[in-house]
Amino acid sequence: MGEDPATTAVAAAFERRTGPAAAMGEDADRIVRACQEMAERFRMGGKLLVFGNGGSVADAQHVAVEFAHPVIVGKPALPAISLTTDMAVATGIALTEGLDGIFAAQLRLLASPRDIALGLSTDAGSANVRSGLAAARELGLLTVALTGGEAGAEADHVLAVRSADPLIVKEVHVTMYHVLWELVHVFYELEAAR
Amino acid sequence: MSTVSEPGGIEALYPFLAPGPVDREAVLADLRESTRRKAAEIVELRRSLVALHAERLVACAREMAAAFDAGARLFAFGNGGSSTDAQAVVQLFAHPPSPARAVAAVPLAQDVALLTALSNDVGYELVFARQLAALGRPGDVAMGLSTSGGSANVLNAMGEASRRGLLTVGLVGYDGGPMAQDGRVAHLFVVPSVSVHRIQEAQITLCHVLWELAQRALTGEL
Repeated sequence: MGEDPATTAVAAAFERRTGPAAAMGEDADRIVRACQEMAERFRMGGKLLVFGNGGSVADAQHVAVEFAHPVIVGKPALPAISLTTDMAVATGIALTEGLDGIFAAQLRLLASPRDIALGLSTDAGSANVRSGLAAARELGLLTVALTGGEAGAEADHVLAVRSADPLIVKEVHVTMYHVLWELVHVFYELEAAR
Repeated sequence: MSTVSEPGGIEALYPFLAPGPVDREAVLADLRESTRRKAAEIVELRRSLVALHAERLVACAREMAAAFDAGARLFAFGNGGSSTDAQAVVQLFAHPPSPARAVAAVPLAQDVALLTALSNDVGYELVFARQLAALGRPGDVAMGLSTSGGSANVLNAMGEASRRGLLTVGLVGYDGGPMAQDGRVAHLFVVPSVSVHRIQEAQITLCHVLWELAQRALTGEL
């Protein structure tokens, strides 16, 4: 990019993304197995419940809209609900049970055992995401966690981005859930064809 | 989010979806390969953005920082997945990791009372333009996200923002669509891809880099 320090800073910022984004390819088997089990849950009539904090609130809603309103013409809409859109419920629960309980309490109310719980966190897991996943496991849901950094959350499928930068973790999460959506549909239709 | 066809549709990418006997192991191998290919695709797409947008990112970040120093607020908006991306950008500017400086920022698709009222009474194509007319001041920043570049409500908002003297920033995919025409946006970032998913993934990186550069500019390091 020449010697201009400003454009060099831009090139460096983009280059920091390359390693963690490419490393997602190494998780291909993990991702495929998660999608297979998610598709089985949808086939059983299950729904997807998605949650996270801060920037991951936006991702939770993004995941829900991907599944419930497919971007590709002809794909079936699959039931998905974000637990982060209803501020009345979330702040109400936070007042009585604390912020750590906002997802677990909603899951106990909304979830059935054949559902899928998907928690997003740009680090090893915020307390409310961890307690949400724990509640989901107790209820018999399939649990999937999109996390970042080294330590893993407690879930049936943990997809961890290899970066300590929350912004880069988020970017790889977006690719991960786009691929989750696409492969879930492949397995879902494969089952239909059998 | 507009509904568009991926080139060739999903069946073209996964031919085993066609009726006939299925080799389970071959399917799983194909899907692993497809996942690896997508990881490689987004890496390449992001790389291409450096040559394409480095200078534009720096210029935009400097102007945004100057605007924030003068008291500007950031308004971000889009439809569907892009509405959540706009929300994430706002969250980053308004509540950044320490020690970055917080900037006043508002997402325009998150107030459901306002959004449904405007949709019901005025029309969906004006839901963001009307909010900018009510909330925006000259010198504020309006950031619109659209994968197609053709969302009527985003285009109308960009027009309203320009007329009112806001700094306009647009993020689009494909060839830029209508948003790339007539110089209607001051800083336009086109992600040259035909996949809605890869476009969104690259757009969120552009937003993150723009935020990082704006922070540097705010501290005099850019």
